[in-house]
Amino acid sequence: MNASCRHDVAAPPPPLAGEGRGEGVFTKKTPQEERALSRIASLDAMRPPPQAGEVKQASQQFQRIAEQRPLRKLTLRLSLFATLTLVAAPAHAFIAYVSNEKSNTVSVIDTDNWTVTKTIKVGQRPRGIEFTRDGKFVMVAVGDDDTIQVIDAKTQSVVDSLPSGPDPELFAQDAAGKILYVANENDNTVTVIDLEKRARLGDIQVGVEPEGMTISPDGKTLINTSETTNMAHFIDTSSRQIVANVLVDARPRFAEFKHDSSEVWVSSEIGGTVSIIDPRKHEVIGKVTFEIPGLRKEAIQPVGIGMTKDDRTAFVALGPANRIAVVDVASRKVTKYLLVGQRVWHMAFTPDEKYLLTTNGVSNDVSVIDVAAQKVIKTIQVGELPWGITIAP
Amino acid sequence: MKVWLLAAMAIALSGTAARAADPRYPDWPCTQAKVPEISLAAVWAGPPLDDVQNKWKDDARIGALVAKLSARKTPLEEAEKSVKEFLATSGSDKASNAKLLFAGLFDTLNAQRSQVMNGLERVSRKQREAADKIREETLQLQALQGATPRDEAKVEALSNELIWKTRIFEDRHKVVRFVCEVPTTIDQRLFALGRLIQQEME
Repeated sequence: MNASCRHDVAAPPPPLAGEGRGEGVFTKKTPQEERALSRIASLDAMRPPPQAGEVKQASQQFQRIAEQRPLRKLTLRLSLFATLTLVAAPAHAFIAYVSNEKSNTVSVIDTDNWTVTKTIKVGQRPRGIEFTRDGKFVMVAVGDDDTIQVIDAKTQSVVDSLPSGPDPELFAQDAAGKILYVANENDNTVTVIDLEKRARLGDIQVGVEPEGMTISPDGKTLINTSETTNMAHFIDTSSRQIVANVLVDARPRFAEFKHDSSEVWVSSEIGGTVSIIDPRKHEVIGKVTFEIPGLRKEAIQPVGIGMTKDDRTAFVALGPANRIAVVDVASRKVTKYLLVGQRVWHMAFTPDEKYLLTTNGVSNDVSVIDVAAQKVIKTIQVGELPWGITIAP
Repeated sequence: MKVWLLAAMAIALSGTAARAADPRYPDWPCTQAKVPEISLAAVWAGPPLDDVQNKWKDDARIGALVAKLSARKTPLEEAEKSVKEFLATSGSDKASNAKLLFAGLFDTLNAQRSQVMNGLERVSRKQREAADKIREETLQLQALQGATPRDEAKVEALSNELIWKTRIFEDRHKVVRFVCEVPTTIDQRLFALGRLIQQEME
């Protein structure tokens, strides 16, 4: 009810699902243009050389503008000028894609002004969502359509689909971005897909109802969690065989490697803990527990996990506790709880790690956390039941 | 023909009315899980409210604002604007007013939510009774139709009554499904306003 009538103060209303491309994107007069022009004034002569990512980002923005407003030459030229100056500006303009499980859409968020710039109609029950490593496409698992759809990041529209098994929920890709592993909730398998050919390579039989999915930084080990066996299954990616099963607490939902590969963190939704596994010995070596005064234990349901690149701080989404726990990785202790939104589920860092964005399923919004300050700075209204989130590399 | 249709409907309907997902709440008719009360900690991470208790009721201005913000007919956007305005004009009382306002919203919306949930369970019990009645009358109608000599007037009257009862049953069933969404929208409102109040306090 309130999802349709409530927006962030600065946000233009998101376009309705099914509206034509470009419609509703610039309800205000070209925000990019305004933004960039205001930035020109503040640019000094000492600007740093552009980063590779920024150039790509800017050229994508230019292409979007060119496609969306082909007739307004003046605006186009202005935008081009503005976009080119953006290249040199120390901007944090990233693009986040959020899957909305109930409204069957993907919301596109511009992290420069924290607004929804587009709502893309996708298949039924979109959940797992991730950019391809080259940043050109966004893959989204649409479980009720038994496939993974591919969104072109330039045109922001669905262009293809990948052959998963039935009811895909989450997936993981290898470091090179060539192989995709998909957890199919309904047939106890993990499907292996060649991303270049967009073809199915084979299946791996795992425990009942595979859920969480992650791959080791070296690409040799795939971890798959299963909510019925309560195990993290370690799969050798070359032989595609399970090499170890590690018992964790009830209903494991998500797995995350430390960047130095020394630990795997597995969240247990019903157990209410995060198990820390030594991936060489395949043993649980520690646990993170959570306690929030006044909240029943069963309201604390850990799901998504995010870890900073220096492996010092972890963030754990606690579902209906409506909070993100900030965890000191070394001591495995919670240092702070941040109230975000209702039923917080998954999260993604901006590439510069300045911000962490969380999806809040019941309040239908995305919270923006300032990572250094460990503070929630913004809330963005998206579609119904936001589930997953990915940010352009 | 009409009778067989009715009989089939009655059986199907009684099935839907009797289904309860959570054994703790046999009358709960919704697919959404029943959470009897919203706990304070789920929506509030601000300063403790122990010193506030019921004091919000003593302040007429806050009482009126709580009533306005709690009403579902007040769009959330407008409610949020009112919260901001109220706190912006509170001066040195901002922190205490914020606590009072939230305490009022928490009490009022929790009570509103309980009322809706009790209503849903009451309707669910009535529906079960109605389904039993429909099933019973369907059997009576079948007996009447098989009897010789057949009393056409009675058959007609009873089958008409059954059609009406079935229609009412179905309508209520639809309304229940719609009302099942209401506790969640109340949760959402309380959370959104609580979060805003906390942000404004910082």
